[in-house]
This record gives sequence, structure tokens and C-alpha cells, in this order.
Amino acid sequence: MSAAGERGVEAAVGLGAPRAAPKLLAPSPHHALFWLGAVLLGAALVVGLRLIGNEYGYFAGYFILQYIVLSSAWNILGGYAGYVNFGAAGFMAAGAYTAIALRKAFGLDLLPGIVAAGFVTGLLGLGTGYLTLRLRGVFFSIATLCLAVVLQTLIVNWDYVGGSRGAYIVRPREVPPFVSYGEYMFVVMLMLAILAVGISRTVELSRLGRGLQAIRDNERAAEAVGVPTLRLKLIATTLCGVLMGVAGAPLPYYSGYLNPEAAFSLAYAVNAIAMPLIGGAGSWLGPVIGAVLLGGLQQAATVTISSALNLWIVGWMLVIFVALFPRGIIGWFRRRA
Amino acid sequence: MDHLTRRQFGRLSLAAAIAGAGQVAGVFPALAQSANPIRIGFAMALSGGLAGNGRATLLAYQIWAQEVNARGGILGRPVQLVFYDDQTQPGLVPGIYTKLLDVDKVDIVTSPYATAMIAPAMPVVMQRNVTFLTIFGAGVNEAFKYDRHFNVNVVGDNMKETYATGYFEVAAMLPAPPRSIAIAAVDNEFAQKAAESARYHAKKRGIRIVYDRSYPPSTVDFTPIIRAMQSGRPDLVFIASYPPDSSGLVRAANELRFTPAIFGGGLVGPQLASFQSQFGPLLNNLVTWDVYSPEPTMDFPGVATFLQKYRELAPREQTDLLGNYIPPYAYAQMQTLEQTLTRIGKIDQAAMAADMHAQEFDTIVGKFRFSALGEWAEPRNLFVQFQGITDNELERYKRPGAKVILAPASLKSGSLRTPYGAAG
Repeated sequence: MSAAGERGVEAAVGLGAPRAAPKLLAPSPHHALFWLGAVLLGAALVVGLRLIGNEYGYFAGYFILQYIVLSSAWNILGGYAGYVNFGAAGFMAAGAYTAIALRKAFGLDLLPGIVAAGFVTGLLGLGTGYLTLRLRGVFFSIATLCLAVVLQTLIVNWDYVGGSRGAYIVRPREVPPFVSYGEYMFVVMLMLAILAVGISRTVELSRLGRGLQAIRDNERAAEAVGVPTLRLKLIATTLCGVLMGVAGAPLPYYSGYLNPEAAFSLAYAVNAIAMPLIGGAGSWLGPVIGAVLLGGLQQAATVTISSALNLWIVGWMLVIFVALFPRGIIGWFRRRA
Repeated sequence: MDHLTRRQFGRLSLAAAIAGAGQVAGVFPALAQSANPIRIGFAMALSGGLAGNGRATLLAYQIWAQEVNARGGILGRPVQLVFYDDQTQPGLVPGIYTKLLDVDKVDIVTSPYATAMIAPAMPVVMQRNVTFLTIFGAGVNEAFKYDRHFNVNVVGDNMKETYATGYFEVAAMLPAPPRSIAIAAVDNEFAQKAAESARYHAKKRGIRIVYDRSYPPSTVDFTPIIRAMQSGRPDLVFIASYPPDSSGLVRAANELRFTPAIFGGGLVGPQLASFQSQFGPLLNNLVTWDVYSPEPTMDFPGVATFLQKYRELAPREQTDLLGNYIPPYAYAQMQTLEQTLTRIGKIDQAAMAADMHAQEFDTIVGKFRFSALGEWAEPRNLFVQFQGITDNELERYKRPGAKVILAPASLKSGSLRTPYGAAG
């Protein structure tokens, strides 16, 4: 077992040990300070963008924030527990279509849609968790990929939510007290991002996170020393599902129209994996850095270079990071430190 | 290793910056030309699944812009195209249009190609009450009902009742009245609406539907679909498909020697040069929906000159070599804009919309008016038949005779040959 693996399992032993033990293994998490800082940063962003007074800032910000939520969600399962989920687009689309279905059925707005999306995709995540009983490694990844295909087939054949034709959502032009619908969407996604990063950080610094790390390093050894592996994996897959679903719920409101091709776009699945890898998987800050860097670069490339060249640049960036910084930016800094 | 990496990164960043600057200069060639150009902004699929048609559309716009600027511009101001690649990702479209309107502060916005990309731009333009001239959308405004939306596309308002009319007019030309039809459609917006129209007309005319199925876009083996159709022995076959599946269906029909009296429908693909050069004689007697054919009945003023110019540039720009599908309409879209601006004499979104609702437009694809919903008031769905194709040469598609117009009657340029699969 690697040194990291030993540390993970040692930490995991704490699950059955007295409550004081983990405190010896990890620095104080400063939860209150984190939440306060995150809220202040969020408020500063909103105020800053309002002062700039440019609607584009909200849309570019929304684009990056949705990837912060998505990659933080992926990181809980993929980064901490080592179960690589290729079905991020499937979960995200399930959230988006839950919001559409509720809008059509009951005329519910975005916020109830987000809550319902989280519930539905949480259940979906729980189901995925049971897959881990039999599937590990690449087989689990293939199963999640298949899940996305199954979901897409279901949506394509479900006429009520638009089927293959797609669904339109005619959103209101303004939502008081926000200056525009763009600002409203931005604030909603900002809150979701703060929540997602906060949850991801809490998981990492808690006994749950250490248990997941133990599973990642050696699941059998973790099980042998008393880590309740199935329970932890179920919690992780459910959390991952919930967060991916809530990231997707605002999508039809953002674009006004959603068809299965757009909802199940490969870009979401690829970015959800690429961003934590670039930032540093296994750390709550990694996906945030990755999403800001890669999402920002994609958005910037779209409105500056704006040709097939931007795909080329993003592709090369991935290759370079995987080759030179296999542990991501966070890992690179830690190694230097 | 670490120092080397940082240096490499520095070099890479510099290279990217230089490359980016070069691109931007290429994108905005007119920046330095004039102090006060009319800036027309749009997103376009220059990469991704719709890039083929997206690049062809862009080339048509660029030809128009060059011609207009050579004539002295519009209202005495040159035009400048400001565009971004939407990568065929609808999720990028709202951001791009916000940037165009709020940061670039363009004077006018036109649409990306096509329905799935136009729809995400709608809420953004509606919020700013901007007049939105779109290209090849399919019923986008049915949901939004925006009175400043105008769509350049031949399908018109009521696709269900009008789209397949021409196909059944062609069917009526058969020596014996057709009694049965088989319908297959890919799962997407446009194809499903097309199939719905075929069903509507079949029922209206008492033609029995012996096969009616949809298939997912990921389908690769079309033999089972063709075999199932064959077993129903239909007189007519109506297929609504997109390029990858159009290719698979035409190939499967030929391999299985399927010879219904009429084979075709709403296939998207046979309009494109790549498809025509690939399939050659296999296209003989295929009856399919189209928007333009270089027949004498469609020799509208200016279209031949435009196509000649387009075909000179197409190989260099790596777009469709013939330009018989979307480019004339993209050019016409810009002519529409030009005529409106010239008439109202200023850039005023409300006045532009009022003018587009009220006036008739005379373009290289003919004259048309817009309906209340902003679609063509008079639909003009062509149904053409490939005839006399002996090889894979593309030259023949530049001349009349290869793609004969059978419907509508006003543009008819030849007579029906039947059945499908017989030598052209």
C-alpha cells in the first residue's frame, strides 16, 4: 500500500475510534470562517458585477459557476472515493428535465424546480451507489456512461417534456429585486456553487471524507479495518447526484429552450472530469480552480479566438496538464511546498 | 524540470496570444476601415455538428458584406460582421448574444444556424427588444410569439399542413393513384414536424400508412427499417432524416433493391455537395425536399452571380462546394436587412420590425413577405427529383437538369420519373 493509502486507512480507522481521534489527524476545519468568507466573496461578486453594470458578466459568471457545482459534485465521488463518474451530463440533464416537467405539470418556477431536481437526481445517485456493490474501476465508469445513454433515450421518447423536439421555457423578463433575469440566474447559481463547494469541503474534512479516501486507496483494506464502505459510497453517490441535478435545473431557464442533444452534451461530462483533474482532484479547492481556469478559458476563447482553434487550445491544455501535473495545480503546489 | 515547465508555459502563452491576435484581426477585418460602421453581430456554428452549414452561411454573409462595402455601405456607413463560434453548443449562445449586445454593442443581431441555436438566443434578444432576423429556424417563434422575430426559411408558419403538400402533389403525378405510404423519421424537431405533415396529408388523401416509425439519431444500421418498409409494399416512402441517417437510408435502400414508386420525402443531406459526390447515380429518381435548384424557373436575378462568387471561394474556405442549399438564403437574409435599413433610413429596432412586417422583400431567392409570427407568409417547399446522374461529378449540379423541380407547380421544371432505383 502507498504512503497515502496508509494515511487514508489510518484516518479511516478513526471511524470506529473515539471522536477525538480525527482531530489529531486533520487541522481544524474552520467551517464558520469558510462559510463567512464564501458568502462575502459571493456578495462582493454580485455587487462588483452590478457596479460594472454589464449583463455579459452574469452570463459568463453563470457559465463558470455551473461548472464549479458540477466539478465539485464529481469530485466527491471521483476525487475522494476514486469512482470515476462519466455520467455527469446524464445527472445534469435529469435535473434539467425535472425542472421542465414540473414547470409543465404545475407551473412551478426555478427554485422549486431546483429542489425537486436535487431530490430526483439524489435518488438516481443512490441507485448508482448500489451499482458499486458489483462494479468498480473502469466497469463502474462504463455503467455511469450507460446510465446517461439510458436517460437520454428515455427523454427522447418522453413527449411530455418535448421529446426529441426539445422544450421551450418562456421565462419572465425580470425578477424583482434583481436588475435582470441574468442577474437572478447568476445569484441562484452563485448560491448553488457556494453550497456545493461548502458541502464538498465539509465532506473532505469530515470522517466521511477520510473514509472515502480510504476506499479510493484500497477498498478491501478499508473494509477490513472497519470502514463502512457501502454506506459511505451511497452517501457520496447521493450527494454527487443531488449536486449535479441542481446544477442542471436552471439550464432550461438559462437558455429558454432545451433539447436532449444540448442537455446530454458531451461537453458537460468531459468538463466535469477535466476541471477537477486540472485543479487537483481529491481536494475541495481543486475543482474550483479547475472550473475557473478551464471554464474561464473556454468562455474567453469563445468570444475572442472564436474558431475551431479554441477547441484546439483547450485540448492542448488538457494534454499538458495531464502530462506535466498529474495531480493538478493543487498537487503541484503541495509538492513544491 | 519545474523551471523548464514554466518557461514552456510562457512560450505557449505567448504563442497563443500571437495566434489569438492574428485570429481577431482576421475576424474583424473591417475594424480599421471606417470610423462608424454598422456592426452586425451573430453567433455561428464554425465547429461542431452544424459547422458544415454554419461555415457556408458565414461565407455568404462575408460575400454580401464585401459587396455592400464596395458599393459604399448602407446609409453611407460600411458594414462590419462581428461573429463568434457557438461550437454547435446551445449553452454558449446566451452568453455570446449578451456579449454582442452589451459589450460589443453591435447595432443589429442576426441568428446562428439553426433551430437549436436560435432558441437560446431568443430570451436575450427579447429582453432588449431587438429585431431578430434568423436563418433556417423551424417554428421557434411558436413558443415565444415575439413580434420582432423574422425567419428566412421556406417552410412558413404552418409546417404540419404545408410542408409535405408538394410531395403529395408529386405523388398525384403517378400513372396510378398511390394507395399506401411508409413513413420513417429521425428523432429531432424538424424531422418529426415533417413526418407529422406527411401523416396529415396521407390521411387527408385516404392513403394507407403501412409503416410509421421514428428512429434515434444514433442509429447506424438502416437495413431493418428498409426491410420493414419493403414488407409493407408501399407505393410511397416518406423519410425525414438528417445527413448521417439520410446517407445510411439511401445506401440501405439501394443495397436491398427497394423500388417503391416514389422514394424520398424530407431528407436533409442530398442538398449538399459532399452527399452528391459520394452517392452519384444512387440518387437517381430520389424525390426530396429542397430549397433551391439551378433550374430556369428559379433563375432569380442575382442568384447565378452570387453562386459563381461563392463557388470560387468555397474550396479555400472549406465549405460546401456548390452552395445550393443554405448560402443563397443566407445572402437573401442580409439583403432583407439591407432593404429594410435603406427604406427606413436609420437603425431603429421598432421601425425595422414594422418595416419587415409590412413590406415585401426582393432577394436572390425571389420575393417574399413575412407573416405575423415572422415566418414566410407563403411557404415554398420544393420537391425535386435527381435525374440523369451518371457519375459522381459535381459540375452537373451547377446546371439545370440534374435536380429537376416537380413541386410546387409554379416552379416546376420537369416531369416525374419512376420508380426509384430505375436507371435515371
